[in-house]
Amino acid sequence: MVPNQSVFKDESKLDINYIPQKLPHREKEQRLLSEFFSFILRCPERMAQRVILTGDVGTGKTALAQHFGANITSEANKRRIKFRYVHVNCREFRGSLQTILHRAVMAFRPNYPARGYGAEEVLAALMQVLDEEEATMILALDEFDSLIEKEGSDAVYKLTRLQEMRQGKPQRLSFIFIMRNLDATAQLDESARSTLQRSIISLTRYGKPQLIDILSDRVALAFELGAVSEDVVDLVAELAYSETGNARFGIELLWRAGKYADAENAGVVEPECVRLAISSIVPSLRRSELASLGLHERLFLLAVARYFKENEEVYAALTEIEKTYAVLCEEYGETANSHTQLWNYAQYLTKLGVLRTEVASAETRGRTTRVSLPTIPAVELERQLSDSLTQNGRRD
Amino acid sequence: MELEEVFSSKPRMKILKLIYQLGQLNVSDVARRIKMNYTATSEHLKILTSEGILEERVYGRVHMYRLSETPKAKAVVALIEAWEKP
Ligand SMILES: Nc1ncnc2c1ncn2[C@@H]1O[C@H](COP(=O)(O)OP(=O)(O)OP(=O)(O)O)[C@@H](O)[C@H]1O
Ligand SMILES: [Mg+2]
Repeated sequence: MVPNQSVFKDESKLDINYIPQKLPHREKEQRLLSEFFSFILRCPERMAQRVILTGDVGTGKTALAQHFGANITSEANKRRIKFRYVHVNCREFRGSLQTILHRAVMAFRPNYPARGYGAEEVLAALMQVLDEEEATMILALDEFDSLIEKEGSDAVYKLTRLQEMRQGKPQRLSFIFIMRNLDATAQLDESARSTLQRSIISLTRYGKPQLIDILSDRVALAFELGAVSEDVVDLVAELAYSETGNARFGIELLWRAGKYADAENAGVVEPECVRLAISSIVPSLRRSELASLGLHERLFLLAVARYFKENEEVYAALTEIEKTYAVLCEEYGETANSHTQLWNYAQYLTKLGVLRTEVASAETRGRTTRVSLPTIPAVELERQLSDSLTQNGRRD
Repeated sequence: MELEEVFSSKPRMKILKLIYQLGQLNVSDVARRIKMNYTATSEHLKILTSEGILEERVYGRVHMYRLSETPKAKAVVALIEAWEKP
């Protein structure tokens, strides 16, 4: 064994705050954002814009906004346009409008006093500072729902009516409001809500193929060459997909799996590392579920666990599991059940969420059923099942 | 005010060094950092402003001071740099 051979090349690329150079499958949304704000590069001060960005957890809202912010900033710099992109997570500041606006003022006046002044004063100061600097700003308010919850319609009025109060003066402040859905806006007055909801970009959940692309990119950046196989990426994508298409979940899972691989000094991230990683996030087979299984269901599941413990694969053909099952039946002095029966067990265990099954069409032999053990570490499952089989197995 | 009078005050020199280092500051911030009361600090800032060394910006109730662009201010910066930089 080669000591200290980490599977990671650059762990920081899996950090939650890392913004990748490119965002696969968000090209259309990036273009939309650029369109909405193209005036900043063409005729700043002539107009201002408000855009809402919505989408479920881990669909890339924050990443998209920050990526866009970095791009437009560098474009503006090239053209010598005075521009700032400021990204504030409202929840971090407990939804306080005054504190959030203070962050924006700090972009130009880092020593502006943090306390003792109301939101309205800070907003006025922000506009004055922008005038002094002859600059424009996009203020991205991430997790905006926490601001709505804390401050209500009043805050939305303050932000959106801003320009009406400065008739004839240059327009300097645009907004991106980011939230998972529009539920929070239901508590706003009719008019506050309507001023808010003009341009909406909504990010759809990622499908499995898209997650594979996103995760593959990240693997190339963060892991040593060959440390993560395509099958493992596939498994992680599958898991992230069933977790509402959450890319963050997939990335975190990759990182944890890498940690398990390093702890084992394995040199590569094996499927078992992914299972260990996910079991540290989501609960494994519950005792009650285990108790509900009959003897042959347990023997079948034990066969699955053995198979995956011994083979570093993500999927196994049902016929392969069947062989291991036959051996186990001998071991426990039982007569093996038929293939159809095993197929039923696989379906039932899939329904319980323990296994995943899929029908793959093999070119040579028609359709074969493949089984995977996505979330429970094979070692753990084997231990649990062996215990239960020696305790009460023979009584069945 | 005569040259010797402007520069003979320890708090005023402290204020100039502070604003040189940190940029724009408001009165309470300066007061806290040089450990002097608000009124006295505010007086010193007003003197330095009327001498054209500092510049005052008012944001509602917030008064912020920074070095101005005058020859006097530039001379002060040169003085501080000559003194403070190795
Ligand atoms: N298209 C993509 N390409 C590359 N990485 C992505 C993509 N979409 C999301 N990610 C990554 O997935 C993770 C989650 O994305 P992000 O934080 O932007 O989600 P979010 O929509 O803001 O979620 P939340 O609602 O929880 O705040 C981040 O690490 C981000 O870099
Ligand atoms: Mg986010």
